[in-house]
Amino acid sequence: MNLRANLWLKTAYARAWVRTMSMYGEPLWVIVTVGFPLFSMMGMSLLYSSAGATARIGFAILGGIMLSFWGNVLWSMASQFNWDKQAGLFEIYITSPAPISAILVGMSLGGILGTAPSAVMVAVVGWFVFHPPINPAWPTAIATFVITLASLYALGMTLSSLYLVYGREAESFNEALQEPVQLLSGVYFPVYSPVIPLAVQAVASVIPLTIGMDALRRTLFLNNPADVNLVYTELLVLGIMAAILLVVSSKSLKALEERGRRVGSIAVRMR
Amino acid sequence: MHRPNRVSVEVQDLHREFETKHKKVTALDGISLQVGEGEIFGVLGPNGAGKTTMIRILSTLLLPSSGQAKVMGYDVAKEPEKVRPLISMASGAERAGYDYITARGNLWFFSQLYGIKSDEAQRRINELSKQIGLEDNLDKKFYALSTGFRQRATIIRAFVNDPKVVFLDEPTIGLDVMTALRIREFLVNQAKEHGRTILLATHNMAEVDAICNRVAIIDKGKILACDTPLALKKSLGAPALVMEISPPPAADNLALLSKVEGVKGYTSSIDEERSISRVQVVVESDDTAQMVLDTTRKSGLTVLSSWRQQTSLEEVFVALVGRGFREREHES
Repeated sequence: MNLRANLWLKTAYARAWVRTMSMYGEPLWVIVTVGFPLFSMMGMSLLYSSAGATARIGFAILGGIMLSFWGNVLWSMASQFNWDKQAGLFEIYITSPAPISAILVGMSLGGILGTAPSAVMVAVVGWFVFHPPINPAWPTAIATFVITLASLYALGMTLSSLYLVYGREAESFNEALQEPVQLLSGVYFPVYSPVIPLAVQAVASVIPLTIGMDALRRTLFLNNPADVNLVYTELLVLGIMAAILLVVSSKSLKALEERGRRVGSIAVRMR
Repeated sequence: MHRPNRVSVEVQDLHREFETKHKKVTALDGISLQVGEGEIFGVLGPNGAGKTTMIRILSTLLLPSSGQAKVMGYDVAKEPEKVRPLISMASGAERAGYDYITARGNLWFFSQLYGIKSDEAQRRINELSKQIGLEDNLDKKFYALSTGFRQRATIIRAFVNDPKVVFLDEPTIGLDVMTALRIREFLVNQAKEHGRTILLATHNMAEVDAICNRVAIIDKGKILACDTPLALKKSLGAPALVMEISPPPAADNLALLSKVEGVKGYTSSIDEERSISRVQVVVESDDTAQMVLDTTRKSGLTVLSSWRQQTSLEEVFVALVGRGFREREHES
C-alpha cells in the first residue's frame, strides 16, 4: 500500500481507538450519552402523539438518532480538537507526519462508535414504545445517511481548522452556532413545510443536515414516488455539498496551519 | 564556529519576532549554530531567552521571521513534510496523554502517527520502557501515573518513532533527582548507542554540564558563547569568589563590585533564615578576588566568610551577561 495512505489509515484508526476507549473508560459518560438523548426523543414523540400526528412520531425518533451522530461528527470533532490543543497534543500532531484530516476522521469515527449505542437505544425504545409507521427504502436511506455524514464531517473539519489559529474565539463561535443550527436543520420537524417561510427554508438548506434529514424522512417514512425523485435530487445536492466542503476544509486546514505557524498560535493554550 | 563532520541541525542567522497589540518582541535575534550527528547539544539560558522559540521553529511548529533552519538537510520552513518523519519533540511541562488510556495505549497511539507497524511499536515501547524504568507502570491508566512516570512516558514518546533528531524542552523540570538522573542516563544512551542528535533546551546548568557535548549560552535571543562545557568553564581562568555578607546589602551597594578591575560579573541570593547575602563574583584572577574582598570590606559591608568555588556554567553565564539567571529573569 502507498506509504501516505498507510499512514493516513493507521492514524485514523489509532485516533478512533483512543476516542472510543476514552469514552468507554468513563462510566458516567456512557450513562449520560446513551441515556439522555432518549428524553428528547420521548418528549418530541409524546408531543406528536398527543397532537394526533402519529404519522410523524417517526420523525422524532429519527431526529433522536441523527442528533447523536450530528453532535459527534460536527460539534464534538471541533471541541475535541480544541481539547487536544489545550492538553498539548496539538504540538505532537503537527510535528508528526500524520495528516490532520486523518486525526479528525479518527475523532469522528471514534465518536460515532461511542454514540452508536445511544442511537440504537433511541431506535429500539422509540420503536417499542411508539410503534411509528415506517415505509423504508433501505439502500437509499443508507446512501443518504453516509453522504450526509460525509458533508457534516467536512463541515466539522472546517470548523476544527479554526483552532489552528484561534482559541477561545473559535470555541465561542462554535458554541454560538450550535443551537441556531440545530433549530434550522429541523432535527425533530420538517423544515420544508408550508408553515416555515421560504427564506428560512433557503437559509436552512445551506446546512447539509437539513437536506439529509429531509431525505431520510422521505426514504424511511413517506417513500411516495414523488418523494423518491426528490430524494435523488437531494442526494445529488448533498453529494455536491460534500465534495465542495471537503475541498474547502482541506484547503482551510492547510491555510490555517500555515497561518498558525506564522503567527505562533499552534502551541498557544488558553484555559 | 565549530563544524561537526555530519550536520543534523543547521541554523543560519535566525530571527523571530512576535507582534502583540502594543509592541514587537524579538525572541530570536540572529542565531547561527550547527549540531552534529549523535551530539547532545544544550541550549542554555534563562526563561525568556528564546530557547523554546528556537525549538518550535526547528520542530516545524513556528515559522522564522527571517534566516534559515535546516534539519537533516531539509528546510524547516519550506519542507516541513520532509522534516517531520525524522524528528520528535517533547516538553517537560507538557506530559500530554489521554487519561483514560494506559501508558502503553498512549505510546502506541503516538507511534501510529508515524505509521509504525503495531508489533514493532510494541517492541519499541517495551524496550524503551525497560531502559527508562517504566515497564512496571506501562499498563496503568495515564491519570494514575505519578508526575515522574508521566514524564518518563513523555520521553519514551519522543523516541518511539526512532527519530534522527530529538528536540527536548526542559525534559526534567519539576522532577525528583533520581528520576532526572534516570532520564539523563537514557538520553546519553540514546545518543551514544543509536547516534541520535538531541537538542536540549534548558536552564538547568547541572544537566547541561552532565550530559551535553556542547552548549550554546543564549540570552535575549542571541548566542553569547558556544563550546563544550569544559572549554567554556576553562575560558574563565580563575575560580569564582563567594562571599557571605551580613546583613544583606541593598542591590545598589553591590554595584561597586562591577567597578573593580577584572570582575566579569556577579550574582547574589539572600538566605533569609540566616539573614545573609551570598554573593558570587566571577573574577579574572586571584588578585582580582583579593581586590573584591578588600573593596567590599572598605565599603562598610561585613564579610562573614569567603571562599573560592569550582567554576560552573553559572559563572560562565555571569561572566558573559554580568548577572545571574535569576536576576536576568527579573529584569526581563
